[in-house]
Amino acid sequence: MFLNIINIFILLFIPFLFVGLINKTKAFWGGKKGASVLQPYYDFFRLLKKGQVISNTSSFIFLIFPTLSFASLLVAGILIPMVASKPLINLDAGFIVFAYILAFGKFFLLIGAMDTGSSFEGMGASREASFSTMIEPAFFITMASIASFTGVFSFESISLILKGSSETGMLIIILTVIVFFIMMLIEAGRVPIDDPDTHLELTMIHEVIILDNSGFDLAILTYSSGIKMLIFSSLIASLLIPSGISYILSYIFYFFIIFISASLVGTIEASFARLRMTRIFEFIFFLSSLSLIIFSLTAIKFSGN
Amino acid sequence: MYYLLFGLGLILAGSIFALIFSEKIKIYIFTVFLTLGVFFVCYPVIQSLIFTKIYSINFFISSFVGPVKLVLDPLSSFFILIISFMSLIAVIYSSSYLKPYFGKDKNINFHLINLSILISSMILLTTVQNALFFLIVWEFMSLSSFFLVIFENDKKEVLASGINYLIFMHISFLFLTASFILLSIKTSSFDFDTFKIFLSSDKITSNIVFLLFFIGFGIKAGFVPFHSWLPKAHPAAPSHVSAIMSSCMIKIGIYGIIRTLLLVGTPSLKITYMLFAVSIITSLYGILYALVQRNIKKLLAYSSIENIGIIGVGIAVGMLGIIYKQEAVVFLGFTGSLMHILNHSIFKNLLFLLSGAIYQKTHTKNIEKLGGLIKSMPYTAIFFLIASLAISGLPPFNGFISEFLIYFGMLKGLQIKEFHSLLIFTFSIACFALVGTMSLLCFSKAFSIIFLGIARSKNSSEVKSDVSAPMIFPLFVLVVLIFFIGILPQYAVRIVFNPIATILGTSSFSFPATTLNLLSTLSFSSILLISVSGLIFLIRKIILKNKIIYKAKTWGCAYEAPNSKMQYTGSSYISPFLSLTKPFFTTELDMKKPKGYFPKEASFKIYIKDIFEYHFIIPLINVNKKLSKSFYWIQKGDSQTYILYGLVFLILAIIGLAFF
Repeated sequence: MFLNIINIFILLFIPFLFVGLINKTKAFWGGKKGASVLQPYYDFFRLLKKGQVISNTSSFIFLIFPTLSFASLLVAGILIPMVASKPLINLDAGFIVFAYILAFGKFFLLIGAMDTGSSFEGMGASREASFSTMIEPAFFITMASIASFTGVFSFESISLILKGSSETGMLIIILTVIVFFIMMLIEAGRVPIDDPDTHLELTMIHEVIILDNSGFDLAILTYSSGIKMLIFSSLIASLLIPSGISYILSYIFYFFIIFISASLVGTIEASFARLRMTRIFEFIFFLSSLSLIIFSLTAIKFSGN
Repeated sequence: MYYLLFGLGLILAGSIFALIFSEKIKIYIFTVFLTLGVFFVCYPVIQSLIFTKIYSINFFISSFVGPVKLVLDPLSSFFILIISFMSLIAVIYSSSYLKPYFGKDKNINFHLINLSILISSMILLTTVQNALFFLIVWEFMSLSSFFLVIFENDKKEVLASGINYLIFMHISFLFLTASFILLSIKTSSFDFDTFKIFLSSDKITSNIVFLLFFIGFGIKAGFVPFHSWLPKAHPAAPSHVSAIMSSCMIKIGIYGIIRTLLLVGTPSLKITYMLFAVSIITSLYGILYALVQRNIKKLLAYSSIENIGIIGVGIAVGMLGIIYKQEAVVFLGFTGSLMHILNHSIFKNLLFLLSGAIYQKTHTKNIEKLGGLIKSMPYTAIFFLIASLAISGLPPFNGFISEFLIYFGMLKGLQIKEFHSLLIFTFSIACFALVGTMSLLCFSKAFSIIFLGIARSKNSSEVKSDVSAPMIFPLFVLVVLIFFIGILPQYAVRIVFNPIATILGTSSFSFPATTLNLLSTLSFSSILLISVSGLIFLIRKIILKNKIIYKAKTWGCAYEAPNSKMQYTGSSYISPFLSLTKPFFTTELDMKKPKGYFPKEASFKIYIKDIFEYHFIIPLINVNKKLSKSFYWIQKGDSQTYILYGLVFLILAIIGLAFF
């Protein structure tokens, strides 16, 4: 019970720290001092104090889509394991519910973008929609292969069993971690898919969808991308933290992995440029091929038995 | 059982009784009779569905047809419940929808008679156990639906699509007849039970019969490659007819396939894999083509094809479970499939009726001419949004429940210790996921281009108000059902337990407690999603209470003259995704390039053709035309030759009689 409360606190308050860490890492690589790690908190509260400008082409959809997108992320965060491999709601085949609740949020994001009747948001929505479409099969192949390998389907059981198994299990863990990390980059709109530094509309993928939003809506939309990254990093952490150790030690491991994850995202952002639009689909297919490798590892173990 | 027949009689009588009245009141009279008829029909149906009663009645028409047996078991009751309820909603809707057609020289009498024949023949078809009577009722269904489709026959494409539909239905009739002939020759009877006993011993006939029935029913259901009538007939028909066709008539094809499986007995592995392959190809093909459509009803028609594929996948998963004796896979597959039949009927009915409302107000089916309708038609917009969320399979709505059950069945199937089943299940999970996200793409496109943004043409800018209440109220009932099944799946799923018991041949059936708990947790997550959204919205209201909120133009990067042409169109919305899928389409371009230094005229039209129709059916029709041309010489046109033919035939007949 106490653990659950701590996990909810982590879900609600750490995303800002995550984004702050990424920016600090980028500043470090650029030889700059950079903004404070707590800057995203200040930005959030600053936006909350402001009013809003609403586009007169838009309807009530524009007013509700940030709320619904954010709510879906919170509920998805409750479904995944945070620390000690325990999600708040442990669901058998939870990854299906997880993926579809994220899709619920994504649907409203796309609709909200098209509501403004602007070509900017339309372009962002169409690109974002096509990228998300392509990563779903990869995610499902990965999770299905792991489910077949371990024989169980819920997140909690998967992480427990995978860690206790053979070398193939370890290899699957490493590959799955890479798959989740790349999924995080794609879903949260980071380099090499989308460049959040080209603020607002230059890259025209995720940032441009939120172009017309302001005030409270903008605050929770930027908060949402932080939560998304935290969710995927928690999934990675649940696979990497060894099981059977004390709670305090697992929390230390967890924060360490979050720190490494944020620094890695920042390093990639500082080192690479965004991929050309035509290459992005190739990159997403790279993700699918990784998931197929995971599947073949499962099949090997299968025929080996 | 007599209640059922009485109910059917009421429905038919209603349309005939309505002949007396004036045009304005006709439909109301018919609706009243239909409602009464549905009550009578549903009384034995609900008894059968909930209490597993089986009703049967024998009667005798003529010595040629033999004794006709009608049996009402839980599986038939499930389908009858869906058919009667969905048709009732569509007919209540049509009372308002058909108003613009009064006084325009349209034969409403004939339309109502055909509606009643269609609804009653669909209901009767699920109970018939005699082969010849089955074919007779099937033909009634096909003919009445043909006349309904060509309601607007002053338009040429409507007539052409209608005739295309009629020919396809008769090809399906041909296959069914062939299969029934084979069976009745071998057993010298027309009764289904005799067929079943015979087929349990003869495996080769079993496979041939299954194949013929599958093609026959598959044409009706809309499996690829027999689907090309669907995207033509649905846009041509008036909206309530498309709704009935898509929510009820297609399911008769699925019903036929399920009955065939029961007839043939334990399925073989090859047949199951074939069903798997056809279903997955159907769902992928359907949603891919739905993505590129401009005509909203064609989009919905292709989406129906996709959902039929999903239903087929569920049935195949259940069958694989039977073969490998994995109980969980069996019940999850069949439950998911039957629930999806119910769910699809509900939201497809809703979508087609909504598209009818849009057509009535804007007089166009082309979504590229619409936009901004959410401000003038708010109810239609909200219902369309809910239906789009449901059809994309998103929680907390009903589509998610049935898709989740099928996914879970496939996951449980991964436990089967065979490499080929592992391959098939993983591959089908991936394809299922792809189909799900593609339908999200498709319906986000449909909703945003039709309702959001600025009006793209006069068609949508001139809409002043939403459709009338008699058209909105039946849709509201469907929306309530969508929410109910989505939020309380552990109760809603009980409706399919008895039909599954019929399929499995057991006396009763229920989910194990673990699966019911899973459904309860799903229900909890759905309710959680709604509550958290409500909570955040409340917080938002509080925080924004004293802040300044004002309206301004959409930000246009300092461009001062924005118009509706600057918005994204439907084709541009899907073009990044489409660039990946080019080989699956045949496109025809109709371009006039701008010429000269001051170009006056330029136009660009792109037509996307259905691959199967373009590369298989049309060449087949051309070959047929060429062959027929070589027989032109028989029909010279002068009566002397025809008399000569008659004389030659008589001489041959006399010689033949003399010798044999």
